Amino acid sequence: MKKLIIFIFIFFNTLNAQNLDSLLKNYKETSEKSLQTVDENLGHVFVYSQKDIRLMQYTKLSDILKELPLINFNHNRYGIPSLSLAGTKTTVSGFFRFFINDHEISSVHSQSPFLSWGNLPLDFVDYIEVYYGDSSFALGNDTGIYFIRIYTKKAYKENASGLRVSAQKQGTNSQSIVHSQTFENGWSYLTFLKNLDSNKDANYKSEELKNHSKRRYFYLDINNDKTDINIGYADVKKDNFMGLSLDVVPNEGEIKSKDFFIDFTRKFLYDNSLKLSLSLDINTRKYYEENDEGIGLIPVLDLKNMGMTIPKKFKEDLTLKKFHAHLSKTHNYKNNSLLAGINFSKKKYEVNNRKTVNFLNQTTNVGEYHDFDEENIYSLLLQDKLKINEKLSFVANAKFDRYERSGFLDDTSEELYRIGAIFTPFDNFGLKAFYTKTFLPPSFYDVDSARKDKPYLNTQKYNFYTLEGVYTTTNSKYRVKYSNVKINDFIYFFPIGTMNIDHTIKSEGLIFNYEYLFENNDKFEISYYTTKLSEELNNSNKGGYVKYMGKRDKWEYFASLIYKNSYSYLDVDVDASYDLNLGATYYFSDDLSLSIKGINILDKSTESLYKDGFPGDDFAFEDHGKNFNVSMKWVF
Amino acid sequence: MRALILMLTLISFATSDQYTFLINKYNKEMELEAKIIANIATLATKGEIKLFIPNISKVEKKVYSKIFTLVDKCEKSNFVFVKKNIKIDPKCLNNKRLFFTNNYKKLLNKDIYFGAFFWSKSRPNIVFIKNRLRTKKILLPKSYNKFIEDF
Repeated sequence: MKKLIIFIFIFFNTLNAQNLDSLLKNYKETSEKSLQTVDENLGHVFVYSQKDIRLMQYTKLSDILKELPLINFNHNRYGIPSLSLAGTKTTVSGFFRFFINDHEISSVHSQSPFLSWGNLPLDFVDYIEVYYGDSSFALGNDTGIYFIRIYTKKAYKENASGLRVSAQKQGTNSQSIVHSQTFENGWSYLTFLKNLDSNKDANYKSEELKNHSKRRYFYLDINNDKTDINIGYADVKKDNFMGLSLDVVPNEGEIKSKDFFIDFTRKFLYDNSLKLSLSLDINTRKYYEENDEGIGLIPVLDLKNMGMTIPKKFKEDLTLKKFHAHLSKTHNYKNNSLLAGINFSKKKYEVNNRKTVNFLNQTTNVGEYHDFDEENIYSLLLQDKLKINEKLSFVANAKFDRYERSGFLDDTSEELYRIGAIFTPFDNFGLKAFYTKTFLPPSFYDVDSARKDKPYLNTQKYNFYTLEGVYTTTNSKYRVKYSNVKINDFIYFFPIGTMNIDHTIKSEGLIFNYEYLFENNDKFEISYYTTKLSEELNNSNKGGYVKYMGKRDKWEYFASLIYKNSYSYLDVDVDASYDLNLGATYYFSDDLSLSIKGINILDKSTESLYKDGFPGDDFAFEDHGKNFNVSMKWVF
Repeated sequence: MRALILMLTLISFATSDQYTFLINKYNKEMELEAKIIANIATLATKGEIKLFIPNISKVEKKVYSKIFTLVDKCEKSNFVFVKKNIKIDPKCLNNKRLFFTNNYKKLLNKDIYFGAFFWSKSRPNIVFIKNRLRTKKILLPKSYNKFIEDF
């Protein structure tokens, strides 16, 4: 009997410790699913968890963007990534809004974040949420159609230092360090530094297209349970690739950009229901281009006097500033969760220097293209989430914006409305629907590039509805999403400048997504999308991906194939893209690992359409070549 | 009650991985945290656990109350889990109750804590301090030795 009691005692003791070990393991795995900030009311969400980022070896933001459904990820003439809606190609656009934590990083000038943050390294990123739907009311920012929210690692969950070095072919290399610490008083900080030297030179008509860039990133996040201070800095110096050269290959050219922001967020009251955010962004951008065959700088070209107005040298020095203040309060009343907020943004676009030199060697101080160089936005936000029961909930939003603009553009008042419903009649089946009426105002870039004879641009009006169905079993998840978009006054970039399209543009999209989780936590995923567009296609309108990721003993591995369909535009035929990526990581210990990744192994990258000459002939050029990446990470 | 807590912690391994929509805020991480604290508190205390979490949030209250008897005053508790930077009432500091924290630096610098549950090198960790276990007469099973550090 005594022996039995001792045996039971030992058995339960062992079980307890195993229990604690398993709980810790489960706790870590749950944390790595990165679902803690998902808000289903903001739209249709795709989460790239910490585990996905690690297993798939997503080392920079563009690794994720290139596989997103309903989106084309290409490059523009400056060799900078650009995102466009399926079927279209844009140089820059405001459809997509990017946030690091709560701070928007899109450029004040072009609404695109890619010059400074396009190659955003993910070493300090915890996870990423991609929302299909306008969530501007939640953060009080400008409107958009897709929201990409990047969450940095939290110092209290790291408490470590990490060093990563990596190399690719053509001499591309990077070094980064992350350091974080938590203090006894509850404050903690995480800091990140990265140096990236990238060489993506290419050839066009046997001439070298230079695309060498040096990037340096700094990030600091200081926080406690009520306050969060984010400081970001990106310093970029790069060749201008094709630039605006009429013969595609410039003699020389360079882009320099320094982007700094500080963001302060403080939550008040016992339940953190009152939130104040203040932020300041300062971006300086310098551009230089020289080309013996001329530069297609739309804003200075006079079609009646091309000979005198085509520049052969162009120099620009800009400062862009943005101040943003946001105050919001949430309040729960019965089944309602109410939110009210006010918002103020001030954007300033300063031209320090802008000069051209024509073929007669005459220098012109161009200065501002237009007198629209300042914009103040006042916003009022209202939201109600009504939860009828565990199976049915509704959300309604309204946002009223007042735009006060300097110069020839009128002040305007805009409104955003959205209603949505989430219905889950069974635990394993759910439906979600949203209807949104929103808008996208013209950016400084749009107005700069506007047609000379019609420089006034109207705000783009969007009406769209989306439906999503989800069905799950223990291991499988099926998702289908349909979207129907109508756009009035769409701002389109014609060879002679941007202008509002005079008819309604219609687009429909369908995404199918299937995910299977294996017992050992390996994951298989397949996704396919197709779109219909009322306009002529100038980019892929169908695509998808297949991916597999897993872990076994000391190995982590992945494979992915990203597909975009072929298309024809005028007399250019563009082949389908099959971007195959394979990779593996070996852990020498918990703290030291070596990763190898093959990128676009079949050398079947997507291609972008460009113009050669003015107005010019179209041609297609590949976005990225085959590459291999080797990296080593040490945590200490 | 103690058996029930142990059973609840075991059930946590048999949950489904897929979800449809996250209608409510995702609290699974906090639920597991509560189970880890339950596991420790069950072994460290005698009798019913009366848990006090200073400056407890609404969500924490909702999650922890599923497996603990929560008390609203430190004096009524026998187990205190300190998650935030607070000044502990001196009346509360006595041998009647055990103090646990989520901050490793706090554990190192303040003798009142017998252990901590915290993150280090991106991994969750538990540390108990040997001489404080002895002082507070906490007897942990031998299988817990890997969590015990001798300062």
